[in-house]
Amino acid sequence: MNEKIKNFLNSDLLEQYLLGTTSNEETLQVERYIAMYPEVRETYIELQENLEVYAKLHAIKTPDGLKDKILNQIKSEKTGRKKFFRYAIAASFAALIFAGASYIFWNQNQNLQAENIIVNNKIESLEENMRMQLEDVRNQFIVLHNPKTKKLTVKGNSKAKELKAVAYINPVKKLSYINVSKLPNLPENQCYQMWAEVNGEMINLGIIKEATDSEKLMALPYGEDAVGYITIEAEGGTTSPTVENIVANIRY
Amino acid sequence: MSVLLEKHIVELLLERDDKAMSLLYEHYGDTLLGVAFKVVRNEALAEDVLQESFLKIWRNSDSYDPSKAKLFTWLFRITRNTAIDKLRSVNTKSDKEIQIDVSDVYRLGTEGINPELMDIQDNLEKIEEKYQIVLDALFFQGMTQQEASDELNIPLGTIKSRLKIGLRELKKIYGSVLLFASLLNFW
Repeated sequence: MNEKIKNFLNSDLLEQYLLGTTSNEETLQVERYIAMYPEVRETYIELQENLEVYAKLHAIKTPDGLKDKILNQIKSEKTGRKKFFRYAIAASFAALIFAGASYIFWNQNQNLQAENIIVNNKIESLEENMRMQLEDVRNQFIVLHNPKTKKLTVKGNSKAKELKAVAYINPVKKLSYINVSKLPNLPENQCYQMWAEVNGEMINLGIIKEATDSEKLMALPYGEDAVGYITIEAEGGTTSPTVENIVANIRY
Repeated sequence: MSVLLEKHIVELLLERDDKAMSLLYEHYGDTLLGVAFKVVRNEALAEDVLQESFLKIWRNSDSYDPSKAKLFTWLFRITRNTAIDKLRSVNTKSDKEIQIDVSDVYRLGTEGINPELMDIQDNLEKIEEKYQIVLDALFFQGMTQQEASDELNIPLGTIKSRLKIGLRELKKIYGSVLLFASLLNFW
């Protein structure tokens, strides 16, 4: 027999392992020896048999009733465990429902937040709009009531004799407005468009709609020796004025 | 214990079938009570230990690994450890309370023990006391041979030779029991 195995078998480790008193490290060592060496394995099996026989020699009759007591306790523990599992399942369902509800609420919250942002943006743009309109109205007020404001009456040329407009120019405040009070009717596929030539640059001021714009002052970009034009254009307007279709010009 | 029955019990145990516990009690209850008694030396305490051990066996049944130990070895370890813990906890409570009731030792006869065990128990007398002492130290007290030598004040060499003889005597006993059992089966 190998010296190593002999030493191991003499060391009492196998006996300690048999009784379950070895440390974790020792346990691993013993199990390795049992797995590796048949002599150790045989000795271990023999020790186990010896232990069982020797223990049996010391058997004591168990008292009546102890068996039922023990088995009842085990049974109650088993049903206790079942009850526990039942509670565990119920708890799992509750948790699942809670998670589902949480998700729905979270989702709803996300939607509401998104809506909130949209509403806030709308309010902001409305505010901006109002501020601009207010500013515009304030400027109109200033222009209309300022003694330095020049009032220019604009009449249409031969192409639009009925056209009447009033321009208000204030060189001090550098503000100019125009009010188109009357426009001759046009075929449906044509419209009036307002322009301004400031410092040699032609600026598109948009389409004039008689119905809505007759009481409205349109702001004109201010400039020294600027000229305003009203042209007749195809419906929808163009990007540059058609010179032969000029119906009125306002020099201011 | 037949190998087949042991296998059956292990299967039930791993399936967590409480029938396993009933079978375990029938086949190992007396022996394990004896193991507990050997450690705590008090019948009432030994019964408590047996009860606690069976609960531990039930709770930890999935930790039993048949490839590492025989079923009895595993049961023995649990019972012995439970008994040692019990002894410790009682000792810390009060040293007086657990004084060994000497009368217990004498009341324990062979009466009522199941016949299979009785046959074996008669054989305990066949092992001389000096060998029994060494076997007790090894199997129940969990002493190393060196510790047994110190404790019993017997030279280490003598411990070793007595252990060898004791084990041989033991082998004779279960050898004859096994022979007897196989004869019974044969008839």
